Amino acid sequence: MLTAVDLTKRYNDVVALNALRLTIAPGEVFCLLGANGAGKTTTINLFLNFIEPTSGSATINGIDVTKAPLETKKYVAYIPETVMLYRNLTGLENLEYFAALAGRPDYTASQLLEFFARVGLPDGAAERRVGTYSKGMRQKVGIAIALAKGAKALLLDEPTSGLDPKASNEFSDLLRQLSADGVAVLMATHDLFRAKQSGTRVGIMKHGRLVAVHGTDEFTHADLERVYLEHMHD
Amino acid sequence: MFSRILRHEWRLLSGDATLWLVTAVCAAAIGYGVWNGARWVRFQQQAIADASAEQAKRYDALQTQITALRQPGASVSPFADPRNPSSLGGRLGPKYATLPPAPLAALAIGQSDLLPYYFKVSTDARENIVSTTEIENPNRLLAGRFDLAFVIIFFLPLLILALTYNMVSAEQEQGTLALVLSQPVGTGTLVRGKVAVRATVLVGVLVVLAGAALLITGVNLTAAGAVPRLLMWIVAVTAYAAFWFGLAVCVSSLGQSSTANATILATTWLALVVVAPSLFNLIATSFYPVPSRVEMVQAVREASDEANKEGSKLLARYYEDHPELATGDAAQAMTDFNVVRVAVNDDVENRVRPVVQRYERQIAAQQQTLDRLRFFSPAILMQSALNDVAGSGVDRHRHFISQLDAFHAQWRAHFVPLIFAKARVTSLDTLPSFTFVEESTAVLWGRVGTGVMALLLPSLALAWFGFRRLRRYPVAG
Ligand SMILES: Nc1ncnc2c1ncn2[C@@H]1O[C@H](COP(=O)(O)OP(=O)(O)OP(=O)(O)O)[C@@H](O)[C@H]1O
Ligand SMILES: [Mg+2]
Repeated sequence: MLTAVDLTKRYNDVVALNALRLTIAPGEVFCLLGANGAGKTTTINLFLNFIEPTSGSATINGIDVTKAPLETKKYVAYIPETVMLYRNLTGLENLEYFAALAGRPDYTASQLLEFFARVGLPDGAAERRVGTYSKGMRQKVGIAIALAKGAKALLLDEPTSGLDPKASNEFSDLLRQLSADGVAVLMATHDLFRAKQSGTRVGIMKHGRLVAVHGTDEFTHADLERVYLEHMHD
Repeated sequence: MFSRILRHEWRLLSGDATLWLVTAVCAAAIGYGVWNGARWVRFQQQAIADASAEQAKRYDALQTQITALRQPGASVSPFADPRNPSSLGGRLGPKYATLPPAPLAALAIGQSDLLPYYFKVSTDARENIVSTTEIENPNRLLAGRFDLAFVIIFFLPLLILALTYNMVSAEQEQGTLALVLSQPVGTGTLVRGKVAVRATVLVGVLVVLAGAALLITGVNLTAAGAVPRLLMWIVAVTAYAAFWFGLAVCVSSLGQSSTANATILATTWLALVVVAPSLFNLIATSFYPVPSRVEMVQAVREASDEANKEGSKLLARYYEDHPELATGDAAQAMTDFNVVRVAVNDDVENRVRPVVQRYERQIAAQQQTLDRLRFFSPAILMQSALNDVAGSGVDRHRHFISQLDAFHAQWRAHFVPLIFAKARVTSLDTLPSFTFVEESTAVLWGRVGTGVMALLLPSLALAWFGFRRLRRYPVAG
């Protein structure tokens, strides 16, 4: 579903992403780990065609994202690290607009509210201006927007940042459900615990290079942490 | 999708106090501008009405006098005798040639406050009638009168820029852009939606408010030519707005911050709307300096003095040029004051002609220079177009002056033979009268159309460049 072939991004002398080769099949949840500046966000931005690759290619559903960006964006939903919304509109109005942009203008209000219920947005918040939301609440709206799109692939850049542990946990459940429904997920995260809990594979990135890929069923949480730290040392 | 973006943009815009503030300011400025224009039009109409009332009253008196003089024994000095063609055509019975305000004159005062709109036509030398008042500082128009044209030329761009300078950068800065562009929406579509909503709102508000103001101030839209002129006005305003929207799209596409965009746009506005007109005017006047008006007036006076001195010598020469008038007793004619006066007036005109021509050539050269340079400033283009629509520009005035000249010639042609023949005027009904013939709508469309094209071409170029660049808008990094 999501494929990167020798995907490389260079900023002058900094190699942000170095020849990434990666395939994420439907139903897979691939967690991208790595230190700050390792190239996780760069990878996701390349899939979204927000930045141009220096070389190599990223494809979604077999289509090169630089050649048909509007087409490929129909198949992916994206949750950024900090979801920013239209502050003067309510959560519901935001969701309704983004769903319409995503190609789903047909949802009824109650269907939209259902998405909010699924992500655990407090009752009554949907009708309030987003300007009054906390960061975690905005993040939940972002998740609802992604769910409403009903996309075949998800690109998540630290989606749980700012979520309370319970919401985080629920998000992991949500990911497992989506995975069961055959959605391919690429998630950048710093949360080893969640990666182990909801991921099917983890990849460790270092200086723009994907240095290791493991199935999450290969080890316990403690093992994952040890492997990760080992990679970070040298 | 597009309509969804429109709806969204309208919701954001209408929820924002700025729009309502802008509309309120707009309404106030438009109302005041139109009111000012309408006041000036009424002033002109009043002056013209006064002139024609004065003329009617004078003619009534003259007619009464003529009737009275029919009584046996009645007498009057030849200078005050309306039956004397020289007195009638000169001092007693001059008629007004007036340029009435065009139907939508209230839209733009233009240069009508610098150009005389009525003249008292007699057998006098042309220069004594036509004070060659021409524009000496076209820039004054751009800073002087607060009329609707001023509101459009100065404020409309500012309003457009205020609503568009950050239309993309604000979404970038507040972080919503990434989420929007992660959907199957192109930056171009997004910006087209934003521009469409803002353009509709602004141009709509402007046209509706201006229309309302016109109706309230009592403009008669059923007058001949009013509707085509109104259409031209809407087309011209739309083209001018298109230019500024094009510019905003172009600058937005550069991917700079809102602050940088604001700076770039404000500087461009300043350069095109404020600096360019003054600069171009300076260029025109320094390349083609106009001899001072004092010099002109002086020349006319000197010419009159000399011509008067030479009196009968001039008449001899005049006879050589116009042998058909040499009937009756030539020797007696040589001493006839009235006949000599015809020759003197003719001579004054000949003497003054080189000075006047030099003056007019320079004015024409200035005007031509400005006409060419106007393509570099949308503000000047717009001013010319609005002046044309309102009928307060130089072209309509030139059209008037040529009719005035024709009327002056006609007036003289009527009286000179009578003067030479020592005939008596018995009726005032056969005297020529002046009626202004309006420019044809086609000619007007031609001039306004040129301006509109000159505005639309750069708008399209800017928009084309902008939308091309928007495809590579830096969403991240
Ligand atoms: N616009 C840019 N210009 C220059 N270098 C950049 C730019 N954007 C990113 N980089 C560099 O690319 C590298 C990868 O950055 P990236 O944002 O992908 O890291 P990350 O893995 O997402 O980090 P974090 O965990 O902090 O989010 C970093 O070294 C960063 O400095
Ligand atoms: Mg990152």
